Amino acid sequence: MNYTFDFNAVSLGPLIEGLIVTLELTVAANLIGVILGFPLALLIMSRFAVIRWPATLFVEFFRCTPAIVQIVWFFYCVPMLFNVFLGSMTMGILALGLNLMAFNAEAYRAAIQAVPREQLDAGIALGLNPFQRVFHIVLPNALRASIPVLLTNGIVIFQQSALVAIVAVQDLMYQAKTLATETYRPIETFTIAALIYFAVSFPVSQVVGWLERRRQILTS
Amino acid sequence: MSLDFSVLLRFQEALALGLWTTIKLTLICIVLGCSLGFLVGLARTAPSVIVRGIASVYVEFFRGTPVLIQLFWIFFCLPLILGVELSNLASGVIALTLYVGAITSETFRASLKSVGREQMDACIALGLPRRVQVTNVILPQAVLRAVPTLLSNCVSLFKESALVSAVGMADLMFVGQNISNNTARPVEVLTIVALIYFAIAFPLTRAVTLVEGRILKKLAI
Repeated sequence: MNYTFDFNAVSLGPLIEGLIVTLELTVAANLIGVILGFPLALLIMSRFAVIRWPATLFVEFFRCTPAIVQIVWFFYCVPMLFNVFLGSMTMGILALGLNLMAFNAEAYRAAIQAVPREQLDAGIALGLNPFQRVFHIVLPNALRASIPVLLTNGIVIFQQSALVAIVAVQDLMYQAKTLATETYRPIETFTIAALIYFAVSFPVSQVVGWLERRRQILTS
Repeated sequence: MSLDFSVLLRFQEALALGLWTTIKLTLICIVLGCSLGFLVGLARTAPSVIVRGIASVYVEFFRGTPVLIQLFWIFFCLPLILGVELSNLASGVIALTLYVGAITSETFRASLKSVGREQMDACIALGLPRRVQVTNVILPQAVLRAVPTLLSNCVSLFKESALVSAVGMADLMFVGQNISNNTARPVEVLTIVALIYFAIAFPLTRAVTLVEGRILKKLAI
């Protein structure tokens, strides 16, 4: 190979700007996903089919279609169908947030179902009403159990957020693409961009691994 | 606005071709990726620190970066480094195989680890040779345990394969976007494309749950 690397050709400024946009998208989508995922999990576990079915369909639809299709669908179809015109950033947050909501709802559901039956029985025996049982028994237990999965889903969304570059949100991926074409230095640009993504997600995934190991020790 | 799904009837063949490309790409990458994943999974438990180190860096890197950037990297950079032209099918296959290899290696590693220590001790007590220990005791159990997760890895791959449309490979997503640009009917076209993906991925996820139940019953755990 006779390619001479020139990492100096890549200016970090735009990449950092892009990273900030990516992080904004990630944080906003995670807020939506973590907060709204829980009520959604309760809906998909509802006793009433009228509530359960639409909620399940929503979750399965987001889990069983490619994220890129969802994002492109959002950008083209929401303005046409509902006649609303939101900024591209808002659209990106909405698409990623709803996607994450579906995945987190599944994580919460699994965690809720893993709450031991005896604990609920104890709640009934103590005369707690259903509302108190959810808030004081199910919620704390399930939240703690679902943290590793929520974090993993959070990293996945951080990575999936690169897809909004396709619909021209100026995130890290978009900046990298622009820079690569401007400087004719795709190898250096994409390598640096990939390293930036890696530098953010690797520490978080290590924390997840640590939490899981600690949990295994605690429960065994 | 009025929706008119009949426009799609004219593009049945194009969509079918796109879907076929998606399925073909998925199948090729499943076969290559799972084989790679199995080898890397073994490499991560190897006694040699160098082998383990290389395998770990590979896995963490591919799990820690977006698939889209991996795809772009392979599509734009690999030809420059190797000095050969790569078709977009080839770069799609390479990128997705490396990605699947990384995620399935974790699956294999976890399932290898889940085979209890006592099984190994029993092998030693029975005086089984090393080769028999691995091929007749550890591997069958590990592979069986890995099956449900591997299947969901495959479903993820099917979904991730839509990314190759971004480097111009004519898969279902790419064909869908082209049709929607040409007919100016994104709502109908993109909805149908999403439904096609859903119609394939949803039954698969259900099948995964079924298989998982069967295997858990069989292993009695």
